[in-house]
Amino acid sequence: ANRGGKQKKGNVTSEQEEEEQPLQAVLVADSFNRRFFPISKDQPRALLPLGNVAMIDYTLEFLTSTGVQETFVFCCWMSNKIKDHLLKSKWCRPTSPNVVHIITSDLYRSLGDVLRDVDAKNLVRNDFILVYGDVVSNIDVSQALQEHRHRRKVDKNISVMTMVFKESSPGHKSRCEEDDVIVAMDSKSKRVLHYQKTQGLKKLQFPMNIFQHGSDEFEIRHDLLDCHISICSPQVAELFTDNFDYQTRNDFVRGILVNEEILGNQIHLYVTQDGYGARVSNLQMYDSVSSDMVRRWVYPLTPEANFTDQQGQGCTHSRHNVYRGAEVSLGHGSQMEENVLIGRDTSIGANCHISNSVIGNNCTIGDNVVLDRAHMWNNVHISSNVEIHQSVVCDGAVVKEAVRLNKQCVLAYNVVIGPNLSLPEGTVVSMHHPEEEEEDDDDEFLSDDQEVGHTFNPAEVGPEGKGYIWKASMNDTEDEELAQCLWGRPLSKQNVCKVVSFQLEVLGTLQRGLEENIVCDNLVLEINSLKYAYNITLKEVMQILTRVVLEYPFQQQGTQLTTLQYTGSLLPLLKTWSPVFKNYIKRAQDHLDCLSAVEELFLEQDTHQTAMVKVLMKMYQLEILEEEAILKWFSTGATNDKSRQLRKNQGLQKFIQWLKEAEDESSEEGE
Amino acid sequence: MPGADKETDLTERIEAFLADLKRGGSGTGPLRGSGEMARETTYLLRRITAQARWSSAGDLMEIIRNEGRRMTAAQPSETTVGNMVRRVLKIIREEYARSRGSSEETEQQESLHKLLTAGELSEETFREHFVHLKANVIEAINELLTELDGTTDNIAMQALEHIHSNEVIMTVGRSRTVEAFLKDAARKRKFHVIVAECAPFCQGHEMATGLSKVGIETTVIADAAIFAVMSRVNKVIIGTQTVLANGGLRAVNGTHSVALAARHHSTPLIICAPMFKLSPQFPNEEDTFHKFVSPHEVLPFTAGEILSKVNVHCPVFDYVPPELITLFISNIGGNAPSYIYRLMSELYHPEDHKL
Repeated sequence: ANRGGKQKKGNVTSEQEEEEQPLQAVLVADSFNRRFFPISKDQPRALLPLGNVAMIDYTLEFLTSTGVQETFVFCCWMSNKIKDHLLKSKWCRPTSPNVVHIITSDLYRSLGDVLRDVDAKNLVRNDFILVYGDVVSNIDVSQALQEHRHRRKVDKNISVMTMVFKESSPGHKSRCEEDDVIVAMDSKSKRVLHYQKTQGLKKLQFPMNIFQHGSDEFEIRHDLLDCHISICSPQVAELFTDNFDYQTRNDFVRGILVNEEILGNQIHLYVTQDGYGARVSNLQMYDSVSSDMVRRWVYPLTPEANFTDQQGQGCTHSRHNVYRGAEVSLGHGSQMEENVLIGRDTSIGANCHISNSVIGNNCTIGDNVVLDRAHMWNNVHISSNVEIHQSVVCDGAVVKEAVRLNKQCVLAYNVVIGPNLSLPEGTVVSMHHPEEEEEDDDDEFLSDDQEVGHTFNPAEVGPEGKGYIWKASMNDTEDEELAQCLWGRPLSKQNVCKVVSFQLEVLGTLQRGLEENIVCDNLVLEINSLKYAYNITLKEVMQILTRVVLEYPFQQQGTQLTTLQYTGSLLPLLKTWSPVFKNYIKRAQDHLDCLSAVEELFLEQDTHQTAMVKVLMKMYQLEILEEEAILKWFSTGATNDKSRQLRKNQGLQKFIQWLKEAEDESSEEGE
Repeated sequence: MPGADKETDLTERIEAFLADLKRGGSGTGPLRGSGEMARETTYLLRRITAQARWSSAGDLMEIIRNEGRRMTAAQPSETTVGNMVRRVLKIIREEYARSRGSSEETEQQESLHKLLTAGELSEETFREHFVHLKANVIEAINELLTELDGTTDNIAMQALEHIHSNEVIMTVGRSRTVEAFLKDAARKRKFHVIVAECAPFCQGHEMATGLSKVGIETTVIADAAIFAVMSRVNKVIIGTQTVLANGGLRAVNGTHSVALAARHHSTPLIICAPMFKLSPQFPNEEDTFHKFVSPHEVLPFTAGEILSKVNVHCPVFDYVPPELITLFISNIGGNAPSYIYRLMSELYHPEDHKL
């Protein structure tokens, strides 16, 4: 919750400041999440190579070219490595126009911590640019900066932040689902009225009050790609201090928008059409940003420009976007088809087919190798007859003969694979054992003998392989999440998770209600609060409730129940909970939804189909369901063979018959 | 230490210039005109001459060559920078030779006869120290700067010799030199200019507004209409990014089609190019010849899904072979393409062709 907090002390100081103050930037060289696990176990994300250049270099080049003169780099995870890298780079040379300060601390757990530290140390004096260490961009933000400053001058520091967006229509490959946002804005003042991640939702709701004040022109946009570049006033850091529960920029933006009335702060946005900006937030984004870069969308940050100014990093650019570093050798009959970047001292054998791939420095590739959308980092060895599709191969990995990596595989540092193996889609192999991860968290002194406990499984990584598959050692749901974490596929999955956990909560509630004899009204209250906590629609609540109740006997007494036992235990339950049902099932549509939930369950539990009639009968008797609804469901609901089969059930037929007759009778009586 | 200060100041300037070069060109060609680029390079070289530590002409040439190499590597398509470096190197050679009392002319050409008779190449070391060399070199560079300042005017002055009343002139894209050239002619004569818009950057629009402001009758056409309109055109006057050593051009995309259309209709093709655009580069050095920028202008990023299914390229330059060109107008007069080699040898020392 948000506390109104202390007064804005920035007001006085920022007015006195002149425009000539050097432009500052805060670069957060940590992602505070584990999306690149297990790769980021060995190397922080900001240093992962993209087009053979560390990602943080792109961010720094972007800042420098927009005229930033002082950058604060905040690192947490593996801060030493980042520090070493920066000290060696051109950014820390005395002639660099952009002075880079490196601030490290193990205590940063989120963006919020970083900004609170910025405020505590009083680092920024004026408007600053806030970016992550994995943003690749060539946007000239000076225009946005000018607009931001103008707004602050005119409106007396009301606007605290300007977010930079890039126009790109939905379906663009550089838009990842998890970063998909929908923004409502005032089209004249460019003020953000509503900001929401879509998270794969089909239905979005906007509070009406955002449209009631201000100008009369609004835009609701879904064609924006969040570049994760924001121009912040010093107040932003203060607001983070005031609200210690802000962890991410998302929290901040939502907090500001919700409390706009109280605090009087506003957020604006700047939409750029040309220019490129994207954050490498997962491997899918890595893949698409990398390919955008090779296809020169980020010009002038192209591979051959060697903007990091490193000796020997230069490469040449020839047609079909083929880039070759120094001392590259290519065997007889090998083809680099298109969009290929090959680092220095790499040698490629005969008859290889390479397309849309990035190959690092010092790699060796054997004969008859097929690479498509492969990302290979430095010192990788690939033997002959290997096929790699859309995969990431990290530093020092070895792929032996006749190995095939299907889509979205990840070979982390120093892994050995093969020979004669085909890795299924989405396999992640690392030298770190997956279970070691948890141990690592509690106990920093991970001793070696713990690792000895795990041995490489030759069936997984091949007879000569070294490494652990992250997939096999975990149970199914988790593994899929992991692959998803890395590749960042559509997020509908999370939605399902939400529903599942809601279902568990409902089950728990009902169970407790039964044990402690809680009144049904209170149960309804509890379920309602759960509904809001998980953001579940009313329809889903009803379906889940039905499902939970009908499955209750199985939950309590195991799945081996006979139909008779099942109905015996279920029917009293229905009676107890009928007020709960009645509370949710009101409209005609609700009845149908409930019926379809019942149907769905009995389609799954096909041995107990005979119980269905009894359940329906009981529900009818308890007046949970109305006869018209049941009849309508029976006549129209059948969509596939199975449900049609279900409707041919004799008991059900009889029940319907009986219902119809009852209806006739009642209507006759009515007359 | 003031000396050290000076040096860091100098390196800072060089780094800033290099960074500028690397970022130069957001797609619409260089941010600054090549004339300005040439001047800036020369200013920087003058500063290096004045502030760097060197005791003999050889040292200075080494320093300048090194910096020049870095500058050209930073933005290979910006040939003016390399050209100015070569010009300054040539100046140093001449000043050194003058200080020694011998004339540069006699040593310049390595003829086959000389190679045979001399036995081995006479290696000039440039190691002798002369007190006034620095002042002389700076003086000569200043002269070069004055020459650069006057180039556009010098070219524009010749306009009346080439443009006659009631002619129809075609040009493509935007060139500051051509704009000045046409404007100069417009003060005395009345003529019609057709500007090809030069997609995808459409610099032609800018050119047309500039021309119409001074009262020249201007028409903008799409690039596709070039051939159709060519039959009405009396002369084609265009600018270029670089004049290559063989007399060909590296000019903005679309120039080649203009040149071919002009050849088909036997329309004279006149190139307005100041001398600093003359480069000892040949068109076969493919890697640095082309420049591909962000494909945004061709197919906007907003196009969405289609982008992952197609390859989009956006090249900036065209090569125009010398046989399509009628005349070069430079600040020192008009020349035929076949004469370029001679100008080349006057401007640059053969040993400096490769930095």
